[in-house]
Amino acid sequence: MYNKSAAPPGIMQSVYGAPPRPRAADCAGIVSLAVADLFPRIQKGYVQKEGVSAIRRATVEALASVNMEMIEPGHTVNILASEHGFYLLEGDHYAEMVKTVRDVVEARTGCKNIRLRVAGGMATREADEVIAHYGLRPYFGGRAVGTHAFDKGIAIETEIGTLWGLDRIYDADWIIHASYDEPRDLYFYRMIDRVLKPFAMSYARYETRSVFHGNFGNRSCSFIQRAIFDSPFVQKKLAFGCFLRMTPAGITGVHADADLDRAGRIITADVMRDYGKMLRLLGSIDEYIAVLDGGRWGYYLHAGGIVFGCLENATYDVFDLTQPAAFGYFDILAKMAAGDPDAMGHIMLVNPAIRAVVVNQAWPGIPMSDVPMFARTIVVGADQAAMIEADPANQVFMGFAESADTIEEALTSARKLANTDKILIFDGSFGHINLSPQLAEYLIMKAPEIEEMVEHTLLPLWLRQRGIKPPKPATKSRKKK
Amino acid sequence: MKYVKSIALVDQSQCVGDGICEPICPTAAIRVFEKKAVVDGGLCRACGKCADICRKNAIILVPREEPLMIEVDAGSVDEEKIQELCRKAHLFPDQPICACTLTPAREAAAAVLLGARTPEEISALTGMRTGCAIYCMGAIQRLLCAHGVELTPPANNRWYLLPLSVWDIPEKVEKRHPGYYIKEDKKLYG
Repeated sequence: MYNKSAAPPGIMQSVYGAPPRPRAADCAGIVSLAVADLFPRIQKGYVQKEGVSAIRRATVEALASVNMEMIEPGHTVNILASEHGFYLLEGDHYAEMVKTVRDVVEARTGCKNIRLRVAGGMATREADEVIAHYGLRPYFGGRAVGTHAFDKGIAIETEIGTLWGLDRIYDADWIIHASYDEPRDLYFYRMIDRVLKPFAMSYARYETRSVFHGNFGNRSCSFIQRAIFDSPFVQKKLAFGCFLRMTPAGITGVHADADLDRAGRIITADVMRDYGKMLRLLGSIDEYIAVLDGGRWGYYLHAGGIVFGCLENATYDVFDLTQPAAFGYFDILAKMAAGDPDAMGHIMLVNPAIRAVVVNQAWPGIPMSDVPMFARTIVVGADQAAMIEADPANQVFMGFAESADTIEEALTSARKLANTDKILIFDGSFGHINLSPQLAEYLIMKAPEIEEMVEHTLLPLWLRQRGIKPPKPATKSRKKK
Repeated sequence: MKYVKSIALVDQSQCVGDGICEPICPTAAIRVFEKKAVVDGGLCRACGKCADICRKNAIILVPREEPLMIEVDAGSVDEEKIQELCRKAHLFPDQPICACTLTPAREAAAAVLLGARTPEEISALTGMRTGCAIYCMGAIQRLLCAHGVELTPPANNRWYLLPLSVWDIPEKVEKRHPGYYIKEDKKLYG
């Protein structure tokens, strides 16, 4: 049932990561498993560069029913994009959607001053790298600009006081929220108001992002994006939203809507059904070696559409809102609040199934020192080890980690250290998973049981908790549009 | 606590004095004088943000001749006062509040009790916010405000005032938005 390993998405060279190196998928003994073979009911999608031209058509069709009469020829429009969208597969689908939004708005409204704002995170050159890589500046007639968490802010008055957005995001008469539905770091927001999350993160100053992650729990934090979104300031500027749709099986199309709450309900139901199955399946593995192998921060690298960060915390059902903390760090705080004198000891309980981590390639720059603290960690390449050693966000990482010269050497060591042959590779893949045959056998055996549990038990629970009417369970394979 | 192994070095021949490195520095260690950036080696905590944002690539991090160990000795401060300040800020003394330096709230509270009055001073004393430079600002402001410090944001946009936490959300807002579990999270982490 499994095949030879599949080529993972290519890696965009960046100043933030070591030069691209041989991929883990090319190592001896690695195979691939199609997501559609595991979960026949998940909507099939496009992978790698496949279907990019179809995204233009899908975007045009999705926008056809969206009202744009508020945009006049003399107005300014900012199309808001987030850097993460350009790392979904190879980014071409998201880039094509963003370009098409521009073209449709211009054609429908006569507006010529349509600008692109690519929002980045803590790395100030990241958005500019993306703009250059996808040729977005010439496409937008020179009006494509990157922004980041430290850029000049703008005060947004909300029902809970002043919150801070980024001035460059909002410096137009109208904004268009051009996003994606891939759920990413679920442990930080629990799939509450997914489509609005960029208003508290990508489009926000770092103080707002800090409050979101640090001063609220991982359920209540989503009220930050709600407060910003509901503010008169944002409501006055928002034209509509346009979302790249994905499942663990790939990119499936585009949804556009002026009513972001309606879009949110649709997207939430689909994400929980499709990603929920893969989350629960990968979260059920008893022991494995995780290999980080992509051109992004390790937490955000995908295997079968699920980011590594979600599996680091896979001992919890992050969708179930009756599980109060559902994340190692918040669990510690809850235990401290309950007076547990050993609360800090619980940090070692983060997904014990991850017996070892191999960092073949992943950006440093985001705090990840907890990884080598809870699992044996091997970093490939002296150049990458030196980058991590010099990284101010990971000052103790290499103190807990080992290094190896090649991915083959690292995997050999990891197998011995972890005493398992189950290997799961986070290399950005959707549509398939690169892994070892031993793990493939387990997933094939377990998937039917998981699918039934999600469709009939968990999905109705998750949706009820969010006030969304559960759809009828899918009964047969759904085909690509 | 932070072990500071490096220091920012400005290549004066490349520096154009545009000043974009100033506001991103969490300790205010880099300033532009007479159109050239100058680093205060005593304050630089080697976060590298100035080097990252400089589009002229005029700044690099180089090894320090003598690495610095940055730490506030919380043991030198009255434990009861630390507990009280953390309680007011809704933080637990042993809680790591900076994901990069793993600084516990106790150490940051001690810095405040020993006289730190700005986020820059806390960063310089503890090393907090000198990694990713983002996610611990909320906790820093909570501690300062809980101590009664009236924070005045700098004119250069280095930081804006935002000490907001879940405990600041009014009950009427909680009730209006039950789907966000605000009341439950206050109880869970309070």
